[in-house]
Amino acid sequence: MADLMLGLEHIASYQTLLSILIGTVVGVIVGVLPGLGSVIGITMVLPFTLAMGQMPALAMMLGVYCGSVYGGSISAIVINTPGTPQAAATALDGFPMAQRGEADLAIGWATMASLIGGLFSVLVLMLVAPQLAAFALNFTAIETFALGCFALICIAGVSQGNMLKGVLAGVLGLFIASVGLDHVTGDMRFTFGNWQMAAGINLIPAVVGLFALSEVFVRASESSLPKPKLLHRAGFRLPAMREWRPRLGLLLKSCAIGSFVGALPGTGAATSSFISYAEARRSSPRRNELGKGEPDGIVASESANNAVTGSAMVPTLALGIPGDPVTAVMLGTLIIHGITPGPRLFTETIDIVYAVLLILVLVNLVMFAVGALGSQLFTRALRIPEPLLMTMVTIIALLGAYGVRGNAIDLLIAFIAGVVGFILRKGGFPLAPLVIGMVLSQMIENSLRQGLLLTRGSFVAFLERPIAFALFAMTIAILIYINRALLIGAFGWAGRLLRR
Amino acid sequence: MKRPETKKLAAVAASAMALAALGTTAHADFPTRPVTMIVPFAAGGGTDITARVLAGPMGEVLGTEVVVRNVAGAGGTIGAAETAMARSDGYTVGLMPVGPMTTQPHLRSLPYGPDSFDYVCLAYSAPSAIVVRHDSPFHTLNDLVEYARANPGELNFAVQAIGSIPHVAGLGLAAETGIDFTFIPYAGDGPSFTAMLDGSVQLFIPHVSFLRTNADQVRSIALLSDERISTAPDLVTAIEQGVDMNYPIWGGLVVPRGTPADVRDALETACEAGVNSTVFTERMESLGTPVVYMGGAEFEAFVRAEFERNGTLLSAAGLMAE
Repeated sequence: MADLMLGLEHIASYQTLLSILIGTVVGVIVGVLPGLGSVIGITMVLPFTLAMGQMPALAMMLGVYCGSVYGGSISAIVINTPGTPQAAATALDGFPMAQRGEADLAIGWATMASLIGGLFSVLVLMLVAPQLAAFALNFTAIETFALGCFALICIAGVSQGNMLKGVLAGVLGLFIASVGLDHVTGDMRFTFGNWQMAAGINLIPAVVGLFALSEVFVRASESSLPKPKLLHRAGFRLPAMREWRPRLGLLLKSCAIGSFVGALPGTGAATSSFISYAEARRSSPRRNELGKGEPDGIVASESANNAVTGSAMVPTLALGIPGDPVTAVMLGTLIIHGITPGPRLFTETIDIVYAVLLILVLVNLVMFAVGALGSQLFTRALRIPEPLLMTMVTIIALLGAYGVRGNAIDLLIAFIAGVVGFILRKGGFPLAPLVIGMVLSQMIENSLRQGLLLTRGSFVAFLERPIAFALFAMTIAILIYINRALLIGAFGWAGRLLRR
Repeated sequence: MKRPETKKLAAVAASAMALAALGTTAHADFPTRPVTMIVPFAAGGGTDITARVLAGPMGEVLGTEVVVRNVAGAGGTIGAAETAMARSDGYTVGLMPVGPMTTQPHLRSLPYGPDSFDYVCLAYSAPSAIVVRHDSPFHTLNDLVEYARANPGELNFAVQAIGSIPHVAGLGLAAETGIDFTFIPYAGDGPSFTAMLDGSVQLFIPHVSFLRTNADQVRSIALLSDERISTAPDLVTAIEQGVDMNYPIWGGLVVPRGTPADVRDALETACEAGVNSTVFTERMESLGTPVVYMGGAEFEAFVRAEFERNGTLLSAAGLMAE
């Protein structure tokens, strides 16, 4: 209780409250604008947060994060273009509703579902995080390595349907992050004798290039495509209470799915909303109406993707492991501001955790208000001519890339990453595994080598630690499960070979 | 009509030449525009905050703004290189800490070295300390050395980075006493501390201010300073325990080689005033370290001596670049 009050004290300043407001508004706008997702939103405000105090910086980041996850639903509903990948599932039923002239009601459903999903995840963060923290006290370099391996497998799960390409992108990410200083021997890797490359390829210029600049390139390459048309002026109308009653079960289930998926490293809001949508399609009594403008689809997708926001902070805060590129950038910002996420955060500075919880609650409430008041205005942002919008994206993205560490080579890195991102997109490679590979690379490598120094070079000693052993076992089990078709095929083939 | 035109032109040319001559010989009017202070680490870190605190009062003395620019990456070497390669007009100064100045150039080939700079002033210097967990059986340096001799190869020593000052100090301790450690690099003080709390490592060497913020969990067994410090007089030095170890964590202002002497003097005067200003001494107080200052000449000799000593230790450990 005293810690909660201390947390309240942390955020009780006009700077923090203003940051929540500005961050959420910026987040929702970024979410609404197609192509500008959570990652770009976070990267855009990053240079500004560097000049802020700890709490206002944190508040702005969380505001942008939650706001952008919600904002994507508005453009998904109004023009059938998900503002962010997380809202892709929302378009499936939101747009048909809008076509029926119920865009205002669809936005009402989405806003309400987002609010509940977001608050649910705060509850999860509050209730589960302490246990996670106690558990995390057992984490040495060896357990961290085991967890890193486990997280890599989750990436493979994200890229299902396109497994090989996902894994390749992930491996590319692991490789890119190995450029520069070898932290264990102090040697240089892949720098070709260029001292500037010793600083390695920073995540942020790479992310800015991969997502924002490649988006610009993709748009430029497809300029002949018909532009999305504004069909309605979207207003805001809340669905009636009796409309909610039959959907409460679905709502809770979707929140639970979102929170669970969000807490797993290497997954994110896009995955959770699709899983949740798939579950609604399987079990909803109105499943036959799904895809034709049934609110169930909006509720499933939006509550699940917003339920990710709070629970994604669990591994980020309690383990220092980012679950997706957004929390990866956020993690970096936390460290810059002197908060070291990790097992100790919950035991040593629980007040910071409570402050995060309170900020998340406020952000979700502000998000609701912004959605309610601003949904008419947001549709106007979509009318910015595309060349103008893309020019703005380019300028803002490059500013973000340079601002991280004032290193001119980062502009070049961002540009090259943009070209690489463009080629990968055109080749149908998912970009998320690449970024997650980059984020996990140093964690996995450093913890492996620290662990080997601790055990004096013995891999067997890694398996003698129960938590590490369990994580390795889970990793292998999931690996087998994902490749079960392949394995069954292989066994069948081997069996036939033996019978012959 | 022609003559007055020519006259005017001649007058303009003459005055321009006079101004140009003034510009090259006299720097009495330095600075005429803001001075950039390069900090080779990220914004928000300890070095950055110290730099920003120093920049304020320095700017007041210089009569212009001193703008901090963070050029981070590769252990501070990117920012140091950028400072070395800047125009030597005094408008670019670097707040260079011990690492990029005296250890990194030994570890790999870099486009700068101690000869690339002119030295303005030492702005801060505080000792590091060997710390152990509060429940550790080691209370003195002797306890540690005896244990290491009885159990060779057992002690794990967390270092914040390979070739960092704590690593050099650890190498120095091993060399002085003939014991050995397994050095394990963790990325910075936080992870090193975590590794010590979970029992992975038995000791590491942070800045002395770390002891203030984590007093209930860690204990110093030796202050790596030539004498005790006024801000924490009960910390026993390694020298008092018979081991010659002096590894301060310092930083000072440098300018690119070839900066005019009077410009350097102006910067040095501003630096001295900045270091003795109230805001700066308060910052040092908050870190629990005494205020230390050195002028340009003294600072240069100090840096060169540190550079030599650290080079010898790194080369003995086989960490030197060919």
